Amino acid sequence: MGFLITTLIFLVVGIIASLCVRICCNRGPSTNLLHLTLVITATICCWMMWAIVYIAQMNPLIVPILSETE
Amino acid sequence: MGESRGGGCCPPMDLMRSETMQLVQLIVPMESAHLTVSYLGDLGLVQFKDLNSEKSPFQRTYAAQIKRCGEMARKIRFFKDQMSKAGVLPKESLEKESDIDLDDVEVKLGELEAELVEINANNDKLQRSYNELMEYKLVLQKAGEFFSSAHRSATAQQREIESEDSQQAGDDLLESPLLQEEKSIDSSKQVKLGFLTGLVPREKSMVFERILFRATRGNIFIRQTVIEEPVIDPSSGEKAEKNVFVVFYSGERAKSKILKICEAFGANRYPFSEDLGKQAQMITEVSGRISELKTTIDAGLGHRDILLQTIGDKFELWNHKVRKEKAIYHTLNMLSLDVTKKCLVAEGWSPVFASNEIQDALQRAAVDSNSQVGSIFQVLRTKESPPTYFRTNKFTSAIQEIVDAYGVAKYQEANPGVFTIVTFPFLFAVMFGDWGHGICILLATMYLILREKKLSSQKLGDIMEMAFGGRYVILMMSLFSIYTGLIYNEFFSIPYPLFAPSAYDCRDASCSEATTIGLIKVRDTYPFGLDPVWHGTRSELPFLNSLKMKMSILLGVSQMNLGIIMSYFNARFFKSSVNIWFQFIPQMIFLNSLFGYLSVLIIIKWCTGSQADLYHVMIYMFLSPTDELGENQLFPHQKTVQLVLLFLALVSVPCMLLPKPFILKKQHEARHQGQSYAPLDETDESLHVETTGGSHGHEEFEFSEIFVHQLIHTIEFVLGAVSNTASYLRLWALSLAHSELSSVFYEKVLLLAWGYNNVLILILGIMVFIFATVGVLLVMETLSAFLHALRLHWVEFQNKFYEGDGYKFAPFTFIFTANEDE
Repeated sequence: MGFLITTLIFLVVGIIASLCVRICCNRGPSTNLLHLTLVITATICCWMMWAIVYIAQMNPLIVPILSETE
Repeated sequence: MGESRGGGCCPPMDLMRSETMQLVQLIVPMESAHLTVSYLGDLGLVQFKDLNSEKSPFQRTYAAQIKRCGEMARKIRFFKDQMSKAGVLPKESLEKESDIDLDDVEVKLGELEAELVEINANNDKLQRSYNELMEYKLVLQKAGEFFSSAHRSATAQQREIESEDSQQAGDDLLESPLLQEEKSIDSSKQVKLGFLTGLVPREKSMVFERILFRATRGNIFIRQTVIEEPVIDPSSGEKAEKNVFVVFYSGERAKSKILKICEAFGANRYPFSEDLGKQAQMITEVSGRISELKTTIDAGLGHRDILLQTIGDKFELWNHKVRKEKAIYHTLNMLSLDVTKKCLVAEGWSPVFASNEIQDALQRAAVDSNSQVGSIFQVLRTKESPPTYFRTNKFTSAIQEIVDAYGVAKYQEANPGVFTIVTFPFLFAVMFGDWGHGICILLATMYLILREKKLSSQKLGDIMEMAFGGRYVILMMSLFSIYTGLIYNEFFSIPYPLFAPSAYDCRDASCSEATTIGLIKVRDTYPFGLDPVWHGTRSELPFLNSLKMKMSILLGVSQMNLGIIMSYFNARFFKSSVNIWFQFIPQMIFLNSLFGYLSVLIIIKWCTGSQADLYHVMIYMFLSPTDELGENQLFPHQKTVQLVLLFLALVSVPCMLLPKPFILKKQHEARHQGQSYAPLDETDESLHVETTGGSHGHEEFEFSEIFVHQLIHTIEFVLGAVSNTASYLRLWALSLAHSELSSVFYEKVLLLAWGYNNVLILILGIMVFIFATVGVLLVMETLSAFLHALRLHWVEFQNKFYEGDGYKFAPFTFIFTANEDE
């Protein structure tokens, strides 16, 4: 559940970012496409990294074993 | 090569492919040639081809002009030298350059140079005389002292001898033996004694004395006195330690020997008279002349400084003008002279979008030079490969330079720079992940960006220049580092439960097994990033290593797939369906049936929490694919799926290797069949200009070469699939190194210092912590992660699709780099 919600949040943030970039630097169709590509790539990279770390912790095989001093 | 290409597959995107370039031919009448080249240089969008490459530099039309410019450049360099020696800085000039004429500048430069050389020569002469007079003065003083002291003791002795009755023989010979001798000798047997005075360098003084002694067989008397301060030597102009010497000799032969030895030792001799009165007179005379010379020298220096100031005012202007003219003449030399000798023909590459601007410039030049005929602009068709030109701004130019450092893109192939703008900082951040360090780097780069204007006009050192040039890349790197730092949950290696409490807790209320069996997961997964409980636990490394290694594989497989998809876009753009069917598809199938499958297994293992051993699964998929999987089963029908994937992978290898050479051969034959019936290329009838660089259409087709090339390509891909995937594990390795270093500095330096409860040790600890963090983590680790991210892009990403054998568009422009001095 948490996974899906956060994925949706990433999606929404990505859409908002591309809209912002389109609004503030609108410089012709080819440049806009470049900006859109960059924003989408950045969003996908960030989401992928978050998703990997999240899924890895969903069903852990190793649990934290505290060290002696704590 | 400009005609048969064309996108059509996807909408055009800035920076993805090179701008369309065209080969243009300009026919310019002679009188407007100079102005035309000047305006085109201002425009900066034409790369001229050298049409006179067979001619030597001396045979070219404008060789004389270039020599002239070279002379002027030499004079300007001379001025610059003189100005820097005198400490005068050239002023920034705001005058417009079009107002000054080259001939005027030449005349002015000649005059100023003659004047400056004369002033310098005079100055040198005066300085030399001054130094000689200073030495003479010292000689007069010291020798005068010696003589007067000898005279005093001689008169004292004389009085003693007169007042005593008994003979005092042989006493105190050193003081005044000569005067005594002189007195006691018969006047008939008078020996003529001469003496020489002068200065000798201190280090040679002992040798000087010895040689004089030996050369004259001991028949001289020499007396030396040390001068305390160093004296400026007239011939060399430098300070040297010297001694004043007086040599008494008898006879002409001895004199000539002494003179020669003085010459050899570089000892300067000065005339000296015995007479006390004359000595005093000489001293006053010399002092007078010294002060006169000083004022003259000062006046001369003042005059020279004024001259240099006037030069300094106009220096930048002249410098720029001369370099501009030289560049223009070099370019004019590249144009070929038409048969009628009335106009010059230029050929060059320029972007298609610049056609209007170029034609504008041509018209303006024709009007401004009052020529009756206008210039002609026409586009030539050619099979040559054009240069590659990307229009970059200050943000994208740094990344484009990084990509170009590996190889400039072939004309119109897909530019990896587009994705590199994001993936390069991202992969850097995966290896660097610490949001504390990220914030430090962000602050540093924000400083560079906010003071951009000021710093870009200054001259920075080499390292600062590189850092300043890459400031936007570093900005992206720092922003992504903050993000990955939040995901790895490291702030100078300290984790914080920023988003929710940790998901782990003790098994029971007493927490007795926390250090043996460990905690259990009681709440929902920590929502953003790594759970903060992990830091410092005993099982941190096994867990993190497994996580980061798998993450590296997943990221790596994604980037490699992106690379192969870029090769698909290239194939579509260049309309090469053989590349799509027999390169792109087999490559995708091979990579994904092996490493894509591994990625899927990783995700399934994480999602289901199965205990399957993925190493075992992958290796036995190859070694014994038909065996039962047993407890390594992650999903139903896994064995069948593995068999199918293995089969696909094995089939795709010959698919990559065999069909393409044969198809290329058939295509070549088909083209060649129709070759002989193709119409002749259109040429301009009025002007016979040959487009240099072979428009011959007969390409060679060596089947064996193509086959070997394809074989190498296939082997490289197949083996590379394994090695490149493993290469991405450096993402894990560097991130582990970074987090370990950072946690060592924190625990062993800062916490240790804190534990002593002593303010001094705490301050010392903080200083060491700061230096270690900045030096090792912020500088060394940044460079290290930068380098590895770069390698991942240059090799693992780009070898899937990038050819990079083009050449860069180098337009003729007047923006000179600071160090250009031809």
